[in-house]
Amino acid sequence: MTKDRLADLQAGILVLRSNPNNALQVVRQMSEHRTMHIKPSRWSWNRFKDFMHFYIMLGAIPAALVITYVNLFIGPARLAEIPEGYVPEAHEYFPHPITRWMAKHINKSYQQEYELMCHHIYEVEYEQKLRKAEHRIKQKMAEKQDTQAYYYQPVTSRNERSIRVNTETDIEMSGTN
Amino acid sequence: MEDPPSANGKTNSYAEFMQAVYRTVDRPVTWFREKVVVSNRPDHVYYHQKFRRVPTIDECYTDDLVCRFEAQQQFNRDKLVDSEIVQLVRQRYKECLISEQPDHTRKCAKLMADFQQVSENFCMKYSDLGPLNNVKDAYMKQKHRMLWERRHGKVGTGMKDQDAL
Repeated sequence: MTKDRLADLQAGILVLRSNPNNALQVVRQMSEHRTMHIKPSRWSWNRFKDFMHFYIMLGAIPAALVITYVNLFIGPARLAEIPEGYVPEAHEYFPHPITRWMAKHINKSYQQEYELMCHHIYEVEYEQKLRKAEHRIKQKMAEKQDTQAYYYQPVTSRNERSIRVNTETDIEMSGTN
Repeated sequence: MEDPPSANGKTNSYAEFMQAVYRTVDRPVTWFREKVVVSNRPDHVYYHQKFRRVPTIDECYTDDLVCRFEAQQQFNRDKLVDSEIVQLVRQRYKECLISEQPDHTRKCAKLMADFQQVSENFCMKYSDLGPLNNVKDAYMKQKHRMLWERRHGKVGTGMKDQDAL
């Protein structure tokens, strides 16, 4: 420490000292010597700067560059009549190039979703009809009381077979007592 | 932007000056667009999708849900197309009104009649059905309308006999 600085310190004058953790901080050299400097937290501010950098450098700027390039140098398509005997693909029904790309690589086409829905309705309708038929049959059986349906238990042996296989494997591995 | 060429060859120096100012901004921008931007774009096209007609709701069996779904989708598409048609007719009528003021009652009468007819037909088919497009409701509306017309005559002429229902 230089002489004049030492004199300043001894006089108790406010000294600006650079903090190794962060920016400048006012320290009054009076009696204490702190290793941990008590100051307001800069955690929120640092996090804010991190978020700003992240969303702007990795989000806004690349998106702006890509969108500018696409709009300038690829540009929207022009409307044309469908040629004879040609079936356009789903992505050729959109004008903007980014929408076209998304329709080609990401989104399901209208026809695909339509046919998936048709199939789903077909399956569900089939099950509905089976349930309704079963309900009607049970009702008739209850009305007329002329079948021996109460003797019939619908049974599958899937579980029993699996238990038997497991038991045999257990006996093989660990033996009987 | 530019005025049409004058008939008697006289020019307005103020107008010429303003157009020259406009050109200082417009010329570079137009040059850039035509030489740099448009020339480097690939020429690609897009089409308007054409859909096949499928059986409508009155041709479907009552327990055929797939047919009903397809009829519903066709109804939705037809509703979009019909709304656009009404919009076009309305736009033509409005443009006539604006450009023919104050003679619009005389000059736009045909367009007004067309618009009335088109919007009446649209409302006959699609209106008063609630917020959800339901093709079965529209079908029933048509059926009820035909019954009513059979009993009372055309819609708008009043009910013949309250008790005859």
